[in-house]
Parts: sequence; structure tokens; C-alpha cells
Amino acid sequence: MPLPRLPRSRRDLHALLPVDLLVNLTLRDLRSKYKRSALGWTWSILNPVVAVVVYSAVFSVFLRIEPSIGDPSGLHSYAVFLLVALLPWQFHVNSLTEATRAITANAPLVTKIYFPRWVLPTSSVLARFLTLLVEMAVLLVLIAVLQGHVAFQWIPVLMLLMALQLLFTIGLALMISAANVYFRDVQHFLGVALAPWMFLTPILYPLNMVPADREFLGIGYRTLYQLNPMVSWAKAYRNVLYDLRFPSAERWLAIVAATAIVLVVGFRVFNRLEPRMAEEV
Amino acid sequence: MAPPTGTAVHLDGLGKRFRLTHDRNWTLKATMLAGHRTRYEEFWALRDLDLEIPHGSTFGIIGGNGSGKSTLLKVLAGILRPDEGTATVDGRLSALLELGAGFHPELTGRENVYLNGAILGFTSRDIRQRFDDIVGFAELDRFIDEPVRNYSSGMYVRLGFSVAIHVEPEILLVDEVLAVGDHSFQRRCLDRFAQLKAEGRTIVLVSHDLDMVGWLCERTAWIQNGALQAVGPSPEVIDRFLDGADEPLPGTSASGNTTAGTPTPGMQRRFGGLGDDDLVRAVDLVDPNGHRMDRVGSGHPVRFRVRVDAGRADEPLTVALGLYRSDGTHVASINSGAAGRGLAYGGAPEGDGAGTVEVDYTIDALAVQPGTYELSVALHDASMRKVFERHTHLIRFEVEPSGGDHQNGLVALGGTWSARSVDASATGPRSDGPGSDGS
Repeated sequence: MPLPRLPRSRRDLHALLPVDLLVNLTLRDLRSKYKRSALGWTWSILNPVVAVVVYSAVFSVFLRIEPSIGDPSGLHSYAVFLLVALLPWQFHVNSLTEATRAITANAPLVTKIYFPRWVLPTSSVLARFLTLLVEMAVLLVLIAVLQGHVAFQWIPVLMLLMALQLLFTIGLALMISAANVYFRDVQHFLGVALAPWMFLTPILYPLNMVPADREFLGIGYRTLYQLNPMVSWAKAYRNVLYDLRFPSAERWLAIVAATAIVLVVGFRVFNRLEPRMAEEV
Repeated sequence: MAPPTGTAVHLDGLGKRFRLTHDRNWTLKATMLAGHRTRYEEFWALRDLDLEIPHGSTFGIIGGNGSGKSTLLKVLAGILRPDEGTATVDGRLSALLELGAGFHPELTGRENVYLNGAILGFTSRDIRQRFDDIVGFAELDRFIDEPVRNYSSGMYVRLGFSVAIHVEPEILLVDEVLAVGDHSFQRRCLDRFAQLKAEGRTIVLVSHDLDMVGWLCERTAWIQNGALQAVGPSPEVIDRFLDGADEPLPGTSASGNTTAGTPTPGMQRRFGGLGDDDLVRAVDLVDPNGHRMDRVGSGHPVRFRVRVDAGRADEPLTVALGLYRSDGTHVASINSGAAGRGLAYGGAPEGDGAGTVEVDYTIDALAVQPGTYELSVALHDASMRKVFERHTHLIRFEVEPSGGDHQNGLVALGGTWSARSVDASATGPRSDGPGSDGS
């Protein structure tokens, strides 16, 4: 009986980019997430809804933070102002939290079967990204109700922005998941760092509330603040979905540069740490 | 497409080192304080290993606990990277290191088949084509849409095994997985291995079950303390492993006369021979007159005589014989309980002594080519499901050439040549006369 063998080229392509493995692991993640829970997928809707209600009450009603007025859209709604930056942020947080444990939690797999390890954190991120896509679609409909169908014109720009954020998050996830194999501190550190990180990103308040006229060691607060790459994403999402305008060239430059750097460094760190993962995990 | 030829696995000076850390610095702070390097002791799990496994062979790896067998399989599977030397694997590889690794308990059997297949490097389309075969082999048709957390451990393992062997590996690495599952599943696994072997695939088996290695593998490597102790034909390597010493290999002369339970010096001691507790007391080659022989002519009559202490058995026994060529080629297996004849012995004491039975298998003409052969003996219950004893390659004997006819191959066909003149115009352009190659 002859040995069936698939064409070399397809096999090689598959080895380089195991699409089916990524798809299957992503599906595993999504399918198993809400198994055996009564509310199931409702939980993924509930999370942003509760966040919007609570944050709106505390920051808009109690602390009286004024959302910026959409320019040129004229939108003036704290809930929308919050959501357009909060949903990408929650994707960021959930992706990193789950990707950190992606390799350590799959230790039985890593020690028994060889497959490219980077697909584990990447599929964790992909699963969260699919959730973000659904959430953003709902948000877009909400904005269209308020602003008319002009909002839909911004879909291509939104997609580009989301694609870049996906790559950026994968880069971070690779670094963190690999490092966590060797030092379990990483997952604890992440838990500590994410909350301050959120407050240092203009999600709950507009960027112009950060004082531009004060300095720390001769550097302006605003300048220091903008070293946080997530500032660029929050601003860019808000430009596209709240203001309904194209983000500035510097913003794009910052976003593309951050994505490229994080992705390259992420893969290099991961490849460096990969060979001993099966022993250390 | 023809099966690949040449070397499937090539190890060149392979070494794998582990770090034994007494105080593993699991925290960043400790590492920072201790400086860049953690203190550890080095331990070579494998060292200076040179080995070649040809394509299409079945190869066993044996050794005690902690000898490095499993580490070697993991290096071959790509899970561990060698620290020294190289391990080259030519061909698509599938490793059965743990069946069902990567199954997610909350997902259904169906979803897990696709997931597991993808992890083993298959596309969803490939799996779709083989899906029915996978489920059929695992005998899980009714349960395939149930979450696997509801599976019994046997079902779990069957599904894992089924996926792993259906991904059509050119090289299959198996680590002790056959210890699981019931007898009927184990038998189907062995059948499947035989089929893979027949298809020209390479099987590397790591096992503590020496009988299994002896039955399945042509060649075997014995590893101890991470170093290669012996490599060669399975029976010899297994013997040396059991002897635990590097004494010279015994000659290949045939078995002599044996009395019950006590192997005489002339008999080849195989795998420790027969013990006092064994139900099988003796196995002999006898001629039609009942005289013991140690060699037999090809095509001559012979009788395999097995003496069984059936009185000590709780239930009737059937006797199974396995005939192997000395290179491990399986020639034939027969079971006295097969084909509905239901020849089972024992229960009531009879014959000589306390319930000892002599079971003969008589062959009118032993239709094998000259060479060295080995006989394995097993005792089953009447249903042939349960194995009481299995004695692999228990005796070795010579089959000698007889008659002037020179032949090659495995069997002696025992035919006769004849020729006659025919009208040339009636037979067409090509004549298949007796002079052409008949093989």
C-alpha cells in the first residue's frame, strides 16, 4: 500500500503558519469558556455592560468628569466616550491575563507533543479578539443610532486599527507567556500592573485633563504620560468612533512603531526561551 | 508512492542534559539576588548516543526505570532539544507519548478529534476525511458528541490512540501506551501496528514489556544510564538485558533435549527460559515417532510438543504457538482454541503426573525455507481473551535444506517443475515456460 503524503508545499506552509491549529485552539478557548454555566455567552455581554454602568455612575455622576465633545461629530455622551476606549482596553487586559498562563496551563500538552508553542498564547489572544469584534459591532450599531449611518464609513479605519492592536497584543502575549514559564512572578506582576495601567490611560477621562503645564524632572506630565503606548490606542479609537475623524499622522506613526517593535521583540524573546520550555514548564 | 528508504532516525553523539536544581529560584527576586545564574547540578539523561533506525523497521527501546528511554523519545519527538550531537528524523512523525494529551474535558469527542488532529499537525480537511475511520476504530460512534469528561478512561485512551495512528505517520513513536485498554483493544492496537509495519512505516516502541518488544520489534536497543548498552536483533538484546551483563552472546545452535522445567545446557535459554511456577513445563520438537529433534529438514514432518501443567490451571487452557524466523519475521501463529474447534485442555487431571498434558501440533511438511527459527508459546483461556502465560522465543531450532532444490524467501512452496512441448503459435509472443523466474 502506498504511503499517502500531502504535497510538500502545503505541508511546509502549514508548518510555518499552522492555521488549522490556531483555529482549533481558538475554538477550544471560545467553546470551553462558558461551558456548564447557565448564562453562557451572556456573561461576555454582561461584563462591559456592568463596567459602563458603574464607571458612568462613579466618574460621570459622582466625580463629574465631562467627556470631550466629539469633533466633528458633536457627540456628547459619557457612555459612548467610555465604551470606545474601554472595549479595546478590556481586550488588552483579558488577552494578557489569559495569554500569561497559556503555556503553563497547557503543560501536559507542551511536555507530550511537539507543535509550535507560539500558537498557544496567540490563540488565547485570537479568542479574545473575536469577542472584541462582536462587541465593537454592537457598539458601532449604537453609534449609528446616535449619529446616523455615517458611522459605518469608518469601518475600514476601525478594522486597520484593530488589526494593529491584535498584532501588538500578540507581541506582548508572546513575551509575557514565555517569561511566565521561567518566572511565575510574571502573572502576579501583571495582576498588580494592569489596574494602574488603566488609570494612566485616557479611558475614564479625556487626555486633556492630564496637566500639560506641570513638569517632573524637567519633562512635562503630558509627555511622560504619552510614553504609555496604550494612550495612542485610546486616542485613536476615540478619534475614529467618537469624533468620527481620521487620527493624526503622529498617532499612526506611534501606533505602527509600537506594534512593529513589540511584535519583533516578542517573537525574538519567545524563540529564545522556547527550547527549554518543555523542561521548565 | 513507494515507502521511503534509508535512515528514518539518525542519532549522532546525542546528549541531553537536565539541570537538577536544589533550590529552584521560582521568583525573579531570588534570581536577581543570586546573580544571573541559578545554582544547579548537571545531569546527563542521555550521552554519546549513536543510533540508526532504518525506514520501515520496527525498533524497540528497552531499559530500566530512569535509563533515559522516554527522554530519548521526547528528543525524537522534538519536545526536548538535544544539548549535544544531533537527532535527525526523516519523515512525518507522530508520537504516542500520552494518549489523549490535549483533550479538553469540556469539549465533545468530535471537537477533540479535530483539536488533537490539529495539534498533531493535521488540517481540518485531513481530519474530516478520516473522521469516520477514527471514530470507528475507537468504537465511539454513539458517544462522539458527548463531552469527553463523561468518557471512561478506556474510551479516552481509545480515542487518543485512534487519532494518533490515523494521522498517517511515517514514523510512529510509542511509549508504553499499550499498557492501557482491555485485551481486545490491545489486540487491535497490535493489529494496527502490524498493518502500519506492512505499509512500510517505521515504529519505535519504548516498553517495559519485553515480550511485546520481542514480538513486535525486529531490532532493539538497550539503554542504561543514558548510554547505549546493546543494539541488535531483539531476542539477543533482550537476553543480554535480562542477564544484565555483557557476557558474550550464546551461539545459535538449536535446542537440545529438555526435561520438564529444567533447561539442559544444550537448550537455548530464551528470556530466562521457563520457571518452576510456569504452567508450560517444556516445549520440544519431535519427529513422527516421538523422538526429540533439534533440527528438521525443510518440507519434512515435524511435531511441536508442549507439556502443560494443566492440572494447576483453574480453567481449560488453549495453547498458542508462534513461529518466528530469527530476524524477527513472523511466520505463523496458531491457537488450539481457534476456528471453533475449541481444543482446550485441563480442568480434570489426566495423563502422566499431576495433571500434566502433552499437547502436540503436527505438521506434515514444514513449509519454511532453511534457516534459524524460534517458537513462542502462549496459554490462553478457552475464549482466547485472557493470556495466562506468554513465553517469547522459547526455543530456537534449525531448518535444514533438504533435496537439491535451491530456493529463496520465506516459505517452501513444495511444488514440482514440469515441462512439455506446445505449439509455439498458440502461446503468443511471450513464453512463460518453466525457465522463467517464478517468484
